[in-house]
Amino acid sequence: MTRPVQNCALLLASLVLAGCANQSYVALLENDDGTTGKVQITTPYGSTLLNAPRQATRIDGPSGETYIATPEKLDKDFGVAMKAGPAKPVTYLLYFDLGGSTLTPESEAEVAKILDAIGTRSVPDVSVIGHTDTVGDDGANEALALERARFVTGLIAAGNKIDPAKIVVESHGKRNLLVPTPDNTEEVRNRRVEVTIR
Amino acid sequence: MKKYKRYVLQIALWLGLVVTAHPVLAQDAVIGYVKTAQDDANLVVDGKAVKAQPGMPVQVGYVLKTGKPGSLGVTFRDNTMVSIGPDTEMVVDEYLFAPAKGELKLAATLVKGTLQYISGVIAKLKPEAVTVKTPVGIIGVRGTRYVAMVEEVQP
Repeated sequence: MTRPVQNCALLLASLVLAGCANQSYVALLENDDGTTGKVQITTPYGSTLLNAPRQATRIDGPSGETYIATPEKLDKDFGVAMKAGPAKPVTYLLYFDLGGSTLTPESEAEVAKILDAIGTRSVPDVSVIGHTDTVGDDGANEALALERARFVTGLIAAGNKIDPAKIVVESHGKRNLLVPTPDNTEEVRNRRVEVTIR
Repeated sequence: MKKYKRYVLQIALWLGLVVTAHPVLAQDAVIGYVKTAQDDANLVVDGKAVKAQPGMPVQVGYVLKTGKPGSLGVTFRDNTMVSIGPDTEMVVDEYLFAPAKGELKLAATLVKGTLQYISGVIAKLKPEAVTVKTPVGIIGVRGTRYVAMVEEVQP
C-alpha cells in the first residue's frame, strides 16, 4: 500500500470506530473556566494521554489512537449524565482579628451572603475549616482554629438554612497557611475560616 | 449584637459538645451526598438497593446504580463531582480525604454505563491518587473534567 492509501485506510477505520454506536471510550472536556486538564488511560494494550478539548480514545481497543468527538455525539451519549451534574461548590473566606474569634467587620458582613448561598441549594452540605496565623505554639493554634470554626458554624446553624448534621467542622491550626510567613508572624489573611458550600 | 453573639457562641458550644460526645457519629464515614436523582436511581448498600434521593449520604463501598431512564449525581467532600446517566453502575471503592495528614485517595469502578467526572481537591493535591477503573482499562486524571462510557462486558 502506498502511504496516502494507508493513511486513508486508517482514517476510514477511525471514522468507522468513531461512528460506532456501541463502544467504550473516554473523552476529555473543557473545564468551565475554559482550561483543559489531562487524562491518562491505561489498558492491557498500553497507555494513551488526552490533553485537548473533546479529544477521545477507545478504552476497549488499541492504545495511542485518539480522535476529536463531536459535540453532538457527546451530547447524545452523555447528555443525561451531564445534566445530572451537581451544582459547583463555592468557597467563602472569613477573616478574624488577632488571637480570638472576632470576625473583621468585612467578614461579618459576608455571613449573610453565605447564608443566602446555602439557601439557594436544595440539599446543601457545608465544611467549615478553621485556620490561624503563626503567632503562638501548635497546640494553642489548633484550639484557636477550632474555636473559630465552631464560632462560624454557630452563625451558620443560627441562620436555619441547613441541617447542622450536614456541617463538617475541622481545625487545621497553623499547618495550612494561605500566605506563607515565618513563625510568630501576624497575618490577617491566615487568620481565617474557609466555608465550602456543596 | 452582643447578645446575639453570646447566643451564637452557645450554639457553637452545643455543637462542639454534640460532636465530642458522639465521636462515632456517622459523619466520620460520610464521604459525600447525593445531589441529584432522577427516575430509576439507587444506592446499593451491602447488596440492597435503596432508592436514591437528594441529600442522602454516600459512604465507601456504596454502588451508584441507575436503570433506564435514570440519572444520579454525587458531590464528595473534596468537591469531586460524579454524575451518571441511565443503565449505569459505579462502585465507590476507596475514599480518603484528610489533607492535613496527607491522606488522599479516590478509587472508583465504572462497571457499565456513562459517567461525567469533575475533579476536586484530591486530584489537585495528589493527581496519582485518583483512579477510575473500568473492565477494560484504568482512567487517571489531572485537574480535569471528562466523560467515560463503558459497554457492559458479557461474562
